[in-house]
Amino acid sequence: MNNQASTDPITQAVTTEEPRRTFELEDRGFREVPKKWRKFYRHWEGEDDWLGPNEIICPVCKVVIRSKRELRVGDRLYCMPCMSRMVVVEAQDGSLATEVIY
Amino acid sequence: MSPEHDSDRADLGHPDPEFDPHALNQEDFLNEVHSFEFWFQAVEGYLRDRPYGHAEGEQSSPVGVADLGQSEKDSLITTLCNYCVGETAALEGASGMIAIAPNRHSKIFLATQVADEARHLEVFLHRLRDLGIANPEAEIERRANPTLLVFKRRLLELVRSGDWSAALLAQNVILESMEHSAFMVHAATADPVTAEILDGVMKDERRHLGFGENDLGRLLADHPGNRARLAGIRGELDGLVLAVFSRAADDLATDRSMRADMGREYLETMDRLGLV
Ligand SMILES: [Fe+2]
Ligand SMILES: [Fe+2]
Ligand SMILES: [Zn+2]
Repeated sequence: MNNQASTDPITQAVTTEEPRRTFELEDRGFREVPKKWRKFYRHWEGEDDWLGPNEIICPVCKVVIRSKRELRVGDRLYCMPCMSRMVVVEAQDGSLATEVIY
Repeated sequence: MSPEHDSDRADLGHPDPEFDPHALNQEDFLNEVHSFEFWFQAVEGYLRDRPYGHAEGEQSSPVGVADLGQSEKDSLITTLCNYCVGETAALEGASGMIAIAPNRHSKIFLATQVADEARHLEVFLHRLRDLGIANPEAEIERRANPTLLVFKRRLLELVRSGDWSAALLAQNVILESMEHSAFMVHAATADPVTAEILDGVMKDERRHLGFGENDLGRLLADHPGNRARLAGIRGELDGLVLAVFSRAADDLATDRSMRADMGREYLETMDRLGLV
């Protein structure tokens, strides 16, 4: 079964991609959504702050959106604080950005 | 009610380790964020124990007021008076929009917004009293920016005309992004009590402007023929928006980079919506 899969060019393209890192999210003091959703968001803390590979800024409300998985182009995310839906895209400089989907 | 909603209730305080909001389907997501329950649990998170928008321990005297210089205090009074004008416009605009909203989830969301806007008006009036203003209504009349009053009149005309998409643009996209930008710039330099009040207000405004952009975005995706007409209304209101920003920046004595920050959010939103 495994051997068959590795000779399939489509499956191979997927399986040769680096496996995604996963993250254990902790509550970062974000209080703007009901408890269950809180660990999936945090506030940007200014110049000395940095984004992890599982984090991205909401283009609408500028809150940091967090995922349990490392983000990749094509991932879909929700910003609950401002009710936006977006997809992860590659920015011109090669970094990850988001595009709002209405 | 979807199973997601049932599990939300059950999981409150006992989060399901497998739960991932990014995996929701769009309909469940929209039902969730437009609900009164979502609003209630969200505001409870950041407004509890903050009567009039700031922590109770700080309330025994008009905190922060004694540290303000005379001209600083005067500018703050003018700014707060104009926030009251903006919040009254938002309160009247959002309440009028409930009647013309095309669906149930928009009506429910707008009802939560009406409660938010009433609270904003109340906390700013309360802060004016902290600053020694015995009759805030008279002070607001005296200090209101005439351009903001024109904007308010035009917004309420659009709401009264029953034009949902134009009202949504003027109220939940333009007015909300003006307010959010002004509060953000102001909070960076405000006294601690005013900054805390503004911080709580901005958390609410995030929902309002997000609702506006996303609902209008969906409407334009379904009815692209509306775009040119709405771009025209944006063009008509643009002069007022810029004049309001400019006057607010003068009142707050902001530097050049902060002035640019104030207008950026508005321009980026228009760009995403294709209203250029
Ligand atoms: Fe408001
Ligand atoms: Fe608002
Ligand atoms: Zn957002």
